[in-house]
Amino acid sequence: MDWISIANAVINGVVIGMLLALPALAITLVFGIARFPNAATGDYMTLGAYTTIASQMFLGGSIVVAVLGAMTMTAAISLLMYFWVFRALAERSHVSRLIASIGVAFAVRSTITFFAGQDQYVVDLPLVRAWNFGGIRILPTDLYIVGAALIALLLVFCVMYLTPTGRRMRAIADSPELAAASGIRARRVMIFLWAVAGAFCGLGGALLGIKAVVLPELGWELLMPMFAGVILGGIGSPVGAVLGIVTFSIAQEVASLFVGPAYKVVLAFLILLCVLLLRPQGMFGRPIAAR
Amino acid sequence: MSLLQIAKLSGGYGDVDIITGIDMHVGAKEIVTIAGTNGAGKSTLIKAAMGILPRIAGTMVFDGIDLMKLQIEDRVRIGISYVPQVRNVFGTLTVLENLQVVEHAPGKSARIRDMFDLFPALAGRRGTYAENLSGGERQQLAFARALMSSPRLILLDEPSAALSPALTDQVFEEVKRLPQADVAVLMVEQRARQALAFSDRGYILDAGRIVLSDTGASLLANEEMGDVYIGRGQSQAAMPHAPSTHV
Ligand SMILES: Nc1ncnc2c1ncn2[C@@H]1O[C@H](COP(=O)(O)OP(=O)(O)OP(=O)(O)O)[C@@H](O)[C@H]1O
Ligand SMILES: [Mg+2]
Repeated sequence: MDWISIANAVINGVVIGMLLALPALAITLVFGIARFPNAATGDYMTLGAYTTIASQMFLGGSIVVAVLGAMTMTAAISLLMYFWVFRALAERSHVSRLIASIGVAFAVRSTITFFAGQDQYVVDLPLVRAWNFGGIRILPTDLYIVGAALIALLLVFCVMYLTPTGRRMRAIADSPELAAASGIRARRVMIFLWAVAGAFCGLGGALLGIKAVVLPELGWELLMPMFAGVILGGIGSPVGAVLGIVTFSIAQEVASLFVGPAYKVVLAFLILLCVLLLRPQGMFGRPIAAR
Repeated sequence: MSLLQIAKLSGGYGDVDIITGIDMHVGAKEIVTIAGTNGAGKSTLIKAAMGILPRIAGTMVFDGIDLMKLQIEDRVRIGISYVPQVRNVFGTLTVLENLQVVEHAPGKSARIRDMFDLFPALAGRRGTYAENLSGGERQQLAFARALMSSPRLILLDEPSAALSPALTDQVFEEVKRLPQADVAVLMVEQRARQALAFSDRGYILDAGRIVLSDTGASLLANEEMGDVYIGRGQSQAAMPHAPSTHV
């Protein structure tokens, strides 16, 4: 295997990983604060991709407007589902919320297919040629995707670590009981959480729609790799989620060079298993005993 | 009138009552200690007063306000603070953030300066994540966090747990100072003999019921009860400390 192919696979892995880092961060934040693995994350992405397509079809206009529209739509649906479903289950076990989120996932996907059918769509973008640096190919679109993801990630990390709202979020993730005993109202934080989680899934989905063909299973099929990335990074660690999913995506793309695309998922999960054998808490997680 | 008045209080985590028929009160600027064997329901009683216990019945009045209808956050607002037995600081937040995050603290930055004056050891560690503090520093931060909202009543669940005898003395010195700042204390203590010595009053809890209540001095003098519930001997600090059993 020549090093140029490997370099291209790594670049591709970075792009996909950065894009998936958005929903992966949403998974981590929801897991840490609302305390369940949200199985609807993938379908919120799908919703974002379809909203982008629909907005281009019916409203015309620029891709930027379409992507912002997708973020707004998924944020709104995410908030709706919080008020309608997850808020009522807040005091129940996390398993009940997980099951409910699987239900939400199916509901979102069925609603999409009801309107859009099973057809495939592509986001309408002018074709651009890749820059070629002696065999190493870089697509300008990929740069935009990585740029958009980076800006969104930086914004949320600034909020998390530099603002009172972010401090409250981290306090609730640390200990809900102590947070309440410090006078922090969880409900206000939850509204912010679900809006951000929704918008991130929407952005991730829209960017994925630019890179791939849009079909109803788009996000659902990514759910397991995304969970794997989050676990690899260390559950509950936002930085870990980003680095975990990027590592996982690179591993997947490089693996596909050696075993073919059909088995790349298997190989990536093997890597995940090996890492977890050495470091059960993931790359950036804290050992449970220390808490 | 008492600051906190509890009558016929019972409650628990599931269907079973862990505490039953509790009658107790705490006056303004009073230090009141709850003692009892492991599993007697001491932590449960403190949680009921803070509003954390899932199921309660009875009456609880704080400063003329009916507590039974109030959420935890609102109890903080009206002047009640709580230092849990375990996980009493936000480990993933810095020392400074642990104080900043507290709501209902008007004049927050001035209040934080007061806390650093009160606990100078914390001032030098304001950027340290709380999980990296030593046991003593951690306990100081737990106190400072609870005092941020300028409470009139502070609920302390075993403030000396897992501390060395020297650090225990230091923590007790801090507790003794609280009434001067117009803060009343309702405290659970394993080192009951030592705690009752500076408490105005005490309650002995057994299997979820109050079996005895008296002034701190009288409880210490009561020999038969003392042997069973408070522990024999002159000073518990001199004896090897039996760590509390839960994690
Ligand atoms: N979160 C909980 N859920 C269910 N039962 C609980 C919970 N916490 C405590 N209990 C039960 O309530 C009873 C009293 O526990 P509690 O923690 O109040 O005792 P304690 O007097 O504080 O004991 P210790 O001295 O060990 O701290 C015990 O039987 C315990 O098993
Ligand atoms: Mg206890």
